[in-house]
Amino acid sequence: MAEERKIQVDEMGLIFGKTMIIFTVIGVVMMVIPAIFYFLGVRPYIPLAEVSKYWTGSAAEFWQQVKGFQVHGYGWIFHNLGYMDTLSMLGVLLLMITPLISMVAAIFRAPSLIYRILLFLGAAEFLLSVFLKTK
Amino acid sequence: MEWSIILFVFTLLIGIISPVSGVGGGVLFVPLSTIIFPFHVDFIRGAGLVMAVTSALSSVPYLTRIGLANIRIFALLAPVMVITSVVGGIIGLKVTSAFPGGKYYIEIMLGAIILLVFAVMMLSKRLEFPQVRDEEVDGWSRALGLRGEWFEPSLGRIVRFQVKNTPLALVVFALIGFVAGMFGLGAGWANVPVLNMLMGAPIKVATATSMLIITANAPAIGIYLTKGAILPSVVIPAVLGITIGARIGAKVAEIIKPVFVRWLVLAILFLAGFMNVLKGLQGLGIIPHIIPGA
Repeated sequence: MAEERKIQVDEMGLIFGKTMIIFTVIGVVMMVIPAIFYFLGVRPYIPLAEVSKYWTGSAAEFWQQVKGFQVHGYGWIFHNLGYMDTLSMLGVLLLMITPLISMVAAIFRAPSLIYRILLFLGAAEFLLSVFLKTK
Repeated sequence: MEWSIILFVFTLLIGIISPVSGVGGGVLFVPLSTIIFPFHVDFIRGAGLVMAVTSALSSVPYLTRIGLANIRIFALLAPVMVITSVVGGIIGLKVTSAFPGGKYYIEIMLGAIILLVFAVMMLSKRLEFPQVRDEEVDGWSRALGLRGEWFEPSLGRIVRFQVKNTPLALVVFALIGFVAGMFGLGAGWANVPVLNMLMGAPIKVATATSMLIITANAPAIGIYLTKGAILPSVVIPAVLGITIGARIGAKVAEIIKPVFVRWLVLAILFLAGFMNVLKGLQGLGIIPHIIPGA
């Protein structure tokens, strides 16, 4: 056990991991709690019965049949946060950006400039891909 | 509601099998769900991706702390895999929505990928402690200091490692990211052999670093979210089932014979791959209707 304590782990890895566990726990809680209310029938944006009626179609067909429009972007989540099913999607959003937050945190403990650049590049691409998808 | 309960039980079972067999949950969930459940493949891929990423996010912090998940390798691969997994997700959804019968093309490609996973698992040999000599270490690996160490209880000592073939591995990981994003599979089945056999990372490091790499597929979740392809009634039971199941599976792994489970999983993968290809060909009218209910 004494030797186990002697292993050298990068500081950037440690901060990456610590950040990740904090945001993962928050994300899972934010995803699961509203979903439980949703399954109990509390304030659904799309009632469960409607979901199971149309989920055989593609995502585009599903939204067309259930709501009469197709979904493009994150607006359907942010404009409907009063509903439990869409509220639980906030948790999924947080889980999605948790690696991004962890990468940003790790930049400050990177062992060299090249790792700062690599992590910054990864984080920038991550952010860009999230932004691009909303178009 | 009853489908959500069945889905929970189903993913619970997958979660139990996963740690015992060494196969990631996503790779079993996606192909089997397309056969068993009535949901469209868009929702299954979305749920598969959230499952794979959530599982990885839960385990990475511990694996990083004990030195098994290597952040240096991740930092190099992330810029490549973020892009390719997003492109894969976009193309996957385009195929199903832009072409008549797009769903069937996806099923055929998914089946082919699963059969490839089957072949990789059948043929690959796991190298527990591969030796990478100093002269084998490539310039990238040397410049970036792609090495690490962990305490190995079975040996009672610290094991140090370094990696090789970094440029070639980058190209392979770009392809893996694309496939992971397109099919919502997670990518442990491909990451591990590349890290282990191509780069020479010890199997424990390869497995743990693979979990870290899977987190780079997280942006592809956005592709599914922005198209409304992630539904709580599919995602929540699946994530809860796999999470609880994996904890049970970790205990079961201590008492069950892994060889038996490995062969069971191989048989399931082969069947799932084969069935997906058949369903796709059947949907396109290339072969007669032979799978009932599909």
